[in-house]
Amino acid sequence: MQDTVQDTVQDSVQDTLQTRTNGKRWTLDYPELGTAPLPVTPYLSPEYFTQEREKIFNRTWLCTGKRVEEISQAGDYLVQNVEVAKTSVLLVRGKDGMVRGFHNVCKHRGNRLAWDGYGSCRSGLTCKFHGWTYAPDGRLVGVPEEDMFFDFDKRDYGLSPVATDVWEGFIFINLDPNPPETLHQYLGEVVDLLRGYSFDRLPVSWSYTAEQTCNWRILRDSQLEFYHGKSLHQRFAGSVMVNKQQPSCHVLDTKLFRRHSMMSFYGDRRNTQRTPMELLVAQFGTSLKTFPSLRDMDRWPLGVNPTRSKQWFFDIYYIFPNFHMVILSPFLYVAHTMWPVTVNRSIWNARGYFPQPATAAELVTREYNKCLARDVWLEDGSTLENTQRGIETGILTQYPVQDQELLIRHAHKVAEDLIAD
Amino acid sequence: MSNPRLPESFTDLEPLADVWALATETERNQQRLTSTMTQIQAFYDTMLPRMEAVLTYLGQFSIKYPPEPIDALPEEAQRLLYLSLAMAEVTTAVELYQQPGVPDGFDPRRFIPDRERMKR
Repeated sequence: MQDTVQDTVQDSVQDTLQTRTNGKRWTLDYPELGTAPLPVTPYLSPEYFTQEREKIFNRTWLCTGKRVEEISQAGDYLVQNVEVAKTSVLLVRGKDGMVRGFHNVCKHRGNRLAWDGYGSCRSGLTCKFHGWTYAPDGRLVGVPEEDMFFDFDKRDYGLSPVATDVWEGFIFINLDPNPPETLHQYLGEVVDLLRGYSFDRLPVSWSYTAEQTCNWRILRDSQLEFYHGKSLHQRFAGSVMVNKQQPSCHVLDTKLFRRHSMMSFYGDRRNTQRTPMELLVAQFGTSLKTFPSLRDMDRWPLGVNPTRSKQWFFDIYYIFPNFHMVILSPFLYVAHTMWPVTVNRSIWNARGYFPQPATAAELVTREYNKCLARDVWLEDGSTLENTQRGIETGILTQYPVQDQELLIRHAHKVAEDLIAD
Repeated sequence: MSNPRLPESFTDLEPLADVWALATETERNQQRLTSTMTQIQAFYDTMLPRMEAVLTYLGQFSIKYPPEPIDALPEEAQRLLYLSLAMAEVTTAVELYQQPGVPDGFDPRRFIPDRERMKR
């Protein structure tokens, strides 16, 4: 009897492995991507970086990672620097409620108009240099000694607009003065997959920024797979990721879109370590580890745990080129924005979106989650500059990409196609 | 009150509060990283059996968002809150890493909490 059970388990494992080998590997569904190793050129080459600037960052929609709630009142603004494009964008909430983007450059002599990250300019934004003042909708409304200029009309000197649009509260910009497609066209299937997600009910609960001496793709690629979860994050995720049925499999599903992609990861939360603080936090608030009840899964957005698996850990969504979300539950996600600066410098913004604490006790439970997420990010951060250094030795000319790192392969192809265009 | 104390039922934690009841994440993280594991473990071991009572006490104070609510709390509750936030800070050191910092982790002084410099 025991033999039979053993055999059946053995058979089912064999079957699964065989099925995967015979065509269930995700990568083989996309023959145009191939299976060859990828070149390290993008991590190293100043020429390639220039191409990325011109063909990608100056042309596609870029998620700022900032949310409309951060500039909720008329006149509120924030500054989004885009070093790769050598520009700075001012995002302002108008009196009509619209969020508009402008190049953060005074039209008099070119001084940077707003120097602070966040501010409010209800009564107009005044340049510190000569006192020119602009309305929140970009019109030039005040010029000291205006009568001393020649053939001068203020209407000719409004701020230069930047194409700006909003998806689910996230502010996107496009530095192409005439974007060939709208933001919603650009986002494609992602719009439907995440419709209904509680983005508007989850405030920015923590946010960190780090400058890294590494190419922006090293930063990005580190977040496009969770192969590293079993090793780099073994203390946090190791036990949850153990898949006895298919030890090499940690992916439940993946979808590649025209530009963007998603991947859904296996994880068995019953194997979460129930440490003393974990139990207290679960009792008095929400825990990122023991989170969410899987009870109401049928009511979740289509794109959250798309296979409706009970062994679901989280999903990642990659919005090409610089935005990445990790959806951990219907009411908890984190997001990464990655900005190139130079070929070997980049800026990483990592944020947590978490339910609004209702009591001071929930401030403590939120802090527990924040510190846990931060420390896991510090694990991520440890590899970035070391990988750049390793690649700069010239020892690697290419690197192999396994099936479950497919999003890296796809993102590389999307960039290659845009650069060749 | 110039010298705030903890609420009456938590005065036994006062020596810990002198060290750990710090107002910002950066200060609490710095305190964690400059403490020995013995000090951190002692802090954790003393706090843990009191945390249920602490969280029940802090649960009385409802908060609004925005603005950040901490300043609106009575001073003694605020001190208890800061102390509890430090407990949240050291939890991974004790429960995950068994050492003060993240093993081989990225330098937290370069991983900057925006909230502390963001205008509100």
